[in-house]
Amino acid sequence: MSADDQTLSTAESLRKTRTYGKFRCHNPSCMGRLQPEAGEGQVKCPECKMEYRVHWIRPDFPRIRGPVWDVNRKLAEAALKKKLEEK
Amino acid sequence: MAMKRKIAFIDLSTGKIETQAISEKIRRKFIGGRGLDSYLLYNHTEKGCDPLGPGNTLMISGGFLTATLASATARTHIMAKSPLTGLLGSANMGGFFAPELAWAGFHHLVIKGKAEKPVYIYIHNGEIEIRDATALWGQTTTETQWSIREELGDEEIKSLVIGQAGENLVRYANVMTGIKNSGGRTGMGCVMGSKNLKAVAVRGTMDINIAQPIEALEYNKKFIEQITSSKVNQTQGTLGTPFIWGATNSWGGIRTRNFQYNQCENADEIEPEAIDDIATETIGPHHMTGCFGCQVHCRAQYKITSGPYAGKYDEGPEYTSQGAFGGEPDCKKAETVLVGNHLVNQYGVDNLEIGSIISWAMELFEKGILTTEQTDGLDLSFGNDEALLEMVHRICLRKGWLGDVLANGGIPASETIGQDSFSYLIQVKGMSNLHSDERATPALALNIATSSRGSDHLRSRPAIDLYHLPEKVLHKIYGSPVPYEGKLSSEHTAYEGKPWQVYWQENCYMAVDCLGICKYHTVFLGPTLPNFEDWPKVIKYNTGLDFTPKEIWDVAVRCNMLERLFNLREGLTRDDLKKGDTLNHRYYDEPCQRGAPDVVGSTIDREKFKKMIDEFYLHKGLDNNGIPTPERLVKLGLGDEPSHLL
Repeated sequence: MSADDQTLSTAESLRKTRTYGKFRCHNPSCMGRLQPEAGEGQVKCPECKMEYRVHWIRPDFPRIRGPVWDVNRKLAEAALKKKLEEK
Repeated sequence: MAMKRKIAFIDLSTGKIETQAISEKIRRKFIGGRGLDSYLLYNHTEKGCDPLGPGNTLMISGGFLTATLASATARTHIMAKSPLTGLLGSANMGGFFAPELAWAGFHHLVIKGKAEKPVYIYIHNGEIEIRDATALWGQTTTETQWSIREELGDEEIKSLVIGQAGENLVRYANVMTGIKNSGGRTGMGCVMGSKNLKAVAVRGTMDINIAQPIEALEYNKKFIEQITSSKVNQTQGTLGTPFIWGATNSWGGIRTRNFQYNQCENADEIEPEAIDDIATETIGPHHMTGCFGCQVHCRAQYKITSGPYAGKYDEGPEYTSQGAFGGEPDCKKAETVLVGNHLVNQYGVDNLEIGSIISWAMELFEKGILTTEQTDGLDLSFGNDEALLEMVHRICLRKGWLGDVLANGGIPASETIGQDSFSYLIQVKGMSNLHSDERATPALALNIATSSRGSDHLRSRPAIDLYHLPEKVLHKIYGSPVPYEGKLSSEHTAYEGKPWQVYWQENCYMAVDCLGICKYHTVFLGPTLPNFEDWPKVIKYNTGLDFTPKEIWDVAVRCNMLERLFNLREGLTRDDLKKGDTLNHRYYDEPCQRGAPDVVGSTIDREKFKKMIDEFYLHKGLDNNGIPTPERLVKLGLGDEPSHLL
């Protein structure tokens, strides 16, 4: 952002790390990159199986709109049961 | 020049008004905005004063860069001793007021005493007068602003005002400007009400000369590109802050039914995309607006389309209103969120606080601690939309036993209600948090426990901790302008390295609050947004003053320490559940029930959390009791406070 030299600040230099068309799974230990098909309303994480509804900011820019309730609730209930049994 | 903007001391008891220049020495030490306000608060408020008495001093300010050529520097800051917490009171708002104040010749107002009858202050091109506001008393926040414009015959006047909540001394009343810009935390509107101060109106046409205008414009072009190209701001420019809801409610970070759940299930109707469908002229790429000098345009507009408020126009709702009138009370109708948001804007009350307190009361009702006798027959069950909105009215008007009790804030209300009501109250230092649930995110939990104005997401939250950024990237961000080679973790469920992130963010947010920059233009929700390294040239080109990134950091550290000194003076102790750096026991004792598989079952580990606080204190130069070491105070130039330089 420097007006009089070519040195990039930290913020500027991180711009090149941006990607479009993907977002991360929001299961903390997963956080895998999900890439929904263009215009698709849902995407499933191939790793942890969480499933999300998708909103498209632009045709190349998807965001998480919310969970697919029935799928993710079952995953949560199973995980909680397992954790309580392990205690 | 920005350097020519003055400070005004206004005594409402005597009518005495004095103005003073702000020296370069003061600017170098505190810059302006919230930083200089923290100095003024420490120096102009008597220890132990009644927050609602004439001895409390109210500061109103713009940032050092406000009304220059720098983008998004329109923030207004308000500070006093809080009537909600008894500690630091501080609120920050967008809109158009602060630039108008700067064009009228001032950066800082220091308002003391109490007027005998309702008044408002009018500031016009260097002139200040105190005017009768009797006719304005009882008006809504919007009505008040238009009445002042009509009375003074100028539609360009910008005003900070209070609504009925402030007049009725609701302890978490807002200061408002425009339709929805809210100085909305810690009850600064209540302080105005206690002074019989209905509004501060400003109009200015005084030039602010720019030190290097061509360079300032050129640099700002790059700045705008950096800000508007970030993914988070592209999203905000379409959906506003409610975009956060989708991801957060997916993994389980939304407080629901007060604190019983961490996810609001099947609440699809209060997602921003659904609100866009339900209301007219609302969220979406063609309906967003913004504050002065901002290119992000994160503010939605809407008209309510159904129910008793059909046809009413308002702005928002923000993410905060989704939680206040959706998640926390477990109400899932978009109309309820839109009406609740409208009511708090018109009454002038903190949506976070009122939503949280009503939800707490709902849990007490569920547990039988509150009965229908105390609610005057109201069925205060979770999910009861009508009861939720009725309680908003009752609190703001102090109507009925419970409305009056809850208007005093959570801790006083718990003392009145009794039994074990306090143990269900989700607060830190007497202030309720945003509707976020931090049990799976230790860094965010540390943020709310140690935030200077009480439980809060805007004072030190490392929100980018949720993005799973590579450690190399984290080191790049958090290793400047002060080297940091300790541990940093990409895992947001980890405890290691988080105290430094919280400390860094605390200083980052103080710096932008000194400069008047909006937090959406720095490392809050996006890692590629400007921070310390990017600000020196903005300051130099616009004001002529040279600062290095490290010097800006040092100012921020100093001003944060002043806020700490104020809180310690007013009774903060580390482990005090009502005035300390603590969390409600439920964070440690009640596991998350919902959300992502790795989130369910989560609690905060008490011992690990204690160590986090120890480390955070170490970074801040505090001992294990949270008290600054003499060496750190001397190093920061605060060894002789209060020093009364102004």
